Amino acid sequence: MRVLAFLLLGCLALPALAQRPEAALECRPTPTDFIFDCTIHLSRGGKPLSGVEVTVGADMPSMPMAHNVKPAQARPGDRPGDYRVMLDLEMLGDWTVKLRLAGPVRDLLRVDLNFDEKGTRPVRRRR
Amino acid sequence: MDAHAIGVLTNIGLFAFLALSAYLLLVAGELSFGQQAFFGIGAYAGGIATALYGWPLPLALLAAMAAGGLAQLLIALPTLRLKGLYFAMATLAAAEMVRIGLELLHFRRMVEGEAVGPDGTQGFRGIRWVFEQGIEPGGYLLIVWSLLAVVMAALAWVERSRLGVTLRGVGEDPELAAALGIRVDRLKLGTATAAGALAALGGVLFAHANTYIEPRNFDIMLGVHSLAYALIGGLGTVVGPLLGVLLDIGVLEGSRIFHGYRMIVFGGLVALLLIWRPRGLLDERVVHWLGRRLKKPG
Repeated sequence: MRVLAFLLLGCLALPALAQRPEAALECRPTPTDFIFDCTIHLSRGGKPLSGVEVTVGADMPSMPMAHNVKPAQARPGDRPGDYRVMLDLEMLGDWTVKLRLAGPVRDLLRVDLNFDEKGTRPVRRRR
Repeated sequence: MDAHAIGVLTNIGLFAFLALSAYLLLVAGELSFGQQAFFGIGAYAGGIATALYGWPLPLALLAAMAAGGLAQLLIALPTLRLKGLYFAMATLAAAEMVRIGLELLHFRRMVEGEAVGPDGTQGFRGIRWVFEQGIEPGGYLLIVWSLLAVVMAALAWVERSRLGVTLRGVGEDPELAAALGIRVDRLKLGTATAAGALAALGGVLFAHANTYIEPRNFDIMLGVHSLAYALIGGLGTVVGPLLGVLLDIGVLEGSRIFHGYRMIVFGGLVALLLIWRPRGLLDERVVHWLGRRLKKPG
C-alpha cells in the first residue's frame, strides 16, 4: 500500500518535475555605450530556480550569426532565482538573449528583448 | 577552446554554406540576392522533421536539402530566363515572398505536452534535437565543419572535372557555350538546384544550433552578406567564399576592433574590393598563379 501511495505521489509530481524552466530578463544601461547591467530571474513551476550555472549570449534576429557577443557567466543575485550579468552588445535594437543552463538544471532558454538607451522592453511583433 | 571561439567558428561554418551557395550561382554567371530563402526553407523543413516528427538529424538534413533544392529549382525555372540584374531582382523578390510565406506559416503540434512548430512571426521554438542528444557546442562545431569539409571537397572535385570547366565556360560566355553544343539552361537549372540544397543544408544546421528560428532571420541582409562573402573571397576557387566569411566574421567581428562600426567598414571593404578586384581576392588569375607555383619542382 505504501509503495502504491509512493508511486501515486511520484506520478502526481512528474508534471512539475518535467516543467521546463522559464526566464525573465531586465537590463539597465550603464555609462558605457552598449553595455547593459542585466538581472535574470529563473523559475520553474512558479518557484525560483537557484544554484544554476547560467551562461548568457546574444544574437540579432535580423542579422543572425553576424554578431558574436562574447558569452558571459552570470553570478547569483540578491533574491532566490536571480542572477546578474553584464551584456556587451554591439548596437541597440532587437536582440535574442540566449541562456545556457548547466549544473542541476540543463536547458537552453531564449528571451527576445529590444535594447534602447533607457533599457529593455519586450519585442513587438506583428501577428 | 572557450565558448566564444566555438560560437564564432560555428557561425563561420554556417555562413560558409550560404556563401558557397551564392558562389555556385556566381560561377554559373548568375547573381542571386535570394539564397537566404533556401537557407530559411532548409531551417524550417529540418526543424519540422526533428521537432515535430522526431526524425534523426541526418534524415532531416537530407529532407531539408531536397526541399531547398526543389524550391530553388521551382523559382529558377521561370527566373533563369532573365539576365543580369533582372535575375538578381527576381531572386530578391522570390526570397521576400518566401520570408512573408514563413510569417504566415502556422503549423503546431503538441509534443510532450508543449505546442511546437512554426507560429508565424512568433517564430519556431523547440528545435532541440541536438541539445536533447547531449551534443555540446564543441561537438556541434565538429559536425558543422566536417560537413563543410565534405561539401568543399566535393565542390573542389567538381571544379576540376569536365563539368566544372563547362560551368565556368557557361558563366563566362553562355552564348559561346550554347554554340558549342552545351545545354546551358539545363546546366544552370542543375546548378541552381545544387545551390538551393547547399543553402538548405546550412539552414538546418543553423536551426539546430540555435534551437529557435523566426522569419526575420532570413531577410535580405543575410542574402547580401552571403553574396558579399563570395565576391570578397573570390570566384577562382571554392576556398574563396570561406575566405570571405573568415575576413568578416573571423577578423572584423572576432577581433572587435571596429565595434559598432564594423558594418560600415565591411561595406567599404566590399566597395573597394569590387573596384580593385571585381572577382575577389582569390580570383581565377591568382588561383592559376598559385597552382603553377605549387606544381613547380623545388
